[in-house]
Amino acid sequence: MNASESVVPTDGLTRRRGLLVPALILLLVFAALPALLAGFDKGYFYQIANLALIFVLLSASMHLVTGVAGLLHLGHAAFYGVGAYTAALLTSKLGLGFTVTLPLSGLMAALVAFLVALPTMRLVSIYFAVATLAIGQMLYLVMLNWVDFTKGPNGIIVSKGFELFGFSLSGRLAAYYTVAAVVTLSVVAIGRLSHSYYGNALRSIREDDQCADAMGVSTVRLKMEAFTLSAFFAGVAGSLWAHMTGYISPGDFKFSESILILAMVVVGGLGSLPGAIIGALLLILLPEGLRALGDFRNIMVGLVMFLSILLLPKGLLGEVSALRLVRRQLGAAWRNTGKGEGIGWR
Amino acid sequence: MFDPYYLQQLAIGLSLGMTYALMAIGFTLIFGVLNVVNFAHGEIYTLGAFAGLVLISATAPPIVAVILGALAIGALAGFSLERIAFKPFRRFTDEASLKSRAMRESTLLSSLAVSIVVREALEIVFGSQMRSVPFDYLINTPVRVGPVILVTGDFIIFGVAAAMLIGLQYLLTRTRVGLAIRAVSNNPLGAKYVGIDTDRTIITTFVVGSMMGAAAGILMGLYYGAVFPAMGFTPGIKAFVAMVMGGLSSIPGAVICALILGISESMATTFVSSGWSDMVAYGFLILTLIFFPNGLFGARRERV
Repeated sequence: MNASESVVPTDGLTRRRGLLVPALILLLVFAALPALLAGFDKGYFYQIANLALIFVLLSASMHLVTGVAGLLHLGHAAFYGVGAYTAALLTSKLGLGFTVTLPLSGLMAALVAFLVALPTMRLVSIYFAVATLAIGQMLYLVMLNWVDFTKGPNGIIVSKGFELFGFSLSGRLAAYYTVAAVVTLSVVAIGRLSHSYYGNALRSIREDDQCADAMGVSTVRLKMEAFTLSAFFAGVAGSLWAHMTGYISPGDFKFSESILILAMVVVGGLGSLPGAIIGALLLILLPEGLRALGDFRNIMVGLVMFLSILLLPKGLLGEVSALRLVRRQLGAAWRNTGKGEGIGWR
Repeated sequence: MFDPYYLQQLAIGLSLGMTYALMAIGFTLIFGVLNVVNFAHGEIYTLGAFAGLVLISATAPPIVAVILGALAIGALAGFSLERIAFKPFRRFTDEASLKSRAMRESTLLSSLAVSIVVREALEIVFGSQMRSVPFDYLINTPVRVGPVILVTGDFIIFGVAAAMLIGLQYLLTRTRVGLAIRAVSNNPLGAKYVGIDTDRTIITTFVVGSMMGAAAGILMGLYYGAVFPAMGFTPGIKAFVAMVMGGLSSIPGAVICALILGISESMATTFVSSGWSDMVAYGFLILTLIFFPNGLFGARRERV
């Protein structure tokens, strides 16, 4: 690494600027927002903040598979549902707490995704999209119709809130901090994944899978990994949702939810993680802000999606500018040595 | 002796399959000319059903007029859908962008967005609850055929669907319009070079396909007696499955697969509860995709 530092001097200025933006975001999420929420002290605002954070995580996980790896995924909400049902069933049947259900929900969703990926991952483009749609619907039908196990349309009451090793975190502010911490950690992990060698390999599959294959990139394996990882994070989001609301039903994981998540990624900009986050915030907070419009707010989702595809084909924050932003502002350790060491976080 | 109950289920399955077939043809035609999937097709079905319902409650015309009205609305909806959701994304006509994945996915997403807007608009205008069709218009008067009890709807659906299929076959193989449609779906650039107005042909295709979708919608609305904004979703998916099973661009394949789907679904309801019977279609889809990636009746095509 000594050689690289002589080529790109990481002087104090870049290093400080590299830490400024993440510090500001962390300050906003963990100090300013909670202070505001505590100031208003309304359950409704906490609910919205948590919902927005959960959808940020969902959108970020969708970004990994649809934005970076370029696989059009139409059944993401089903994996979110698998996570939520795992958490709810573990809580209601075995009495386990959030500390245990959070990782298990993620793993369960990842396991289901892995099993699903085994036969379908060799499909390409529209065939893959159709297969994910069918799988999403099949999982939804299982949630809806396997009444003995999932209680069907009645849903499940999740009696336990957030806790950490038996230490209850079920107060409003504590719950917000739990959700914020889990979502932030997951988004950072997704960010490191998508802005690395690994992410570049996924991007090469999206651009031209045959070419990537010929260059020695194992496309099928990478696609499976991206799909499974994204399902893992969706499962984590599901567990957060189950413990946050205390009640889940199959209606929360319908096809339209998958489309909503897809719309977030598309509106924000395919392939851009900051875009996915902005898209999620926009599509969750805009309808809440437009509550005065009443029934029209769902139309707004469709209209925003349509107009953004029509007028901003690259999304609100397109991939190229997002990559530049991330590399300059967040990637203090980003190296481009020009000595064949490659580009990316190590 | 063979249980007449199964024959009855077979008849119901045939009616169901026929409506799936009408919808699948719309998908197949549009996929043929544009190489894109039209996700708003299910909403055309819903629009057809609502057009029929509005017509019935406004003027109480004979049933033929109801179907014709639904067809007209379907044609109009297809036209506007093409203008709104597909035309703006055909700005670039060179070969590279015609094959580009991004272009194809943008129309897919734009049609999805349009379908959301249409469905939500219908929910605002008509409410999300089921609206029942007036009793006089229900096509379920029982008819006894040998040991089996059918309803008039089975015959009407079969008749209308068969007439439309024959009409489509005539249109595609005996008229200049049909020739243009087939030329564009065979090779859009080549069709353009020999002087076919591809833009107009694409609109025609949308109009024809959407008329079939709307007809399916009104027939099913009258058959089950219930019309609601989200009704197009499930048949849309089923028709889509039929199209993929049939090999994406083969019309006879799509029709046969739609019939297979309809029959196996209605047979499945005798063994499992109706909630699970949707599983049949998705199971078929996954199996087809894995074992017959080109569809059961599709010609070999480049999978890009």
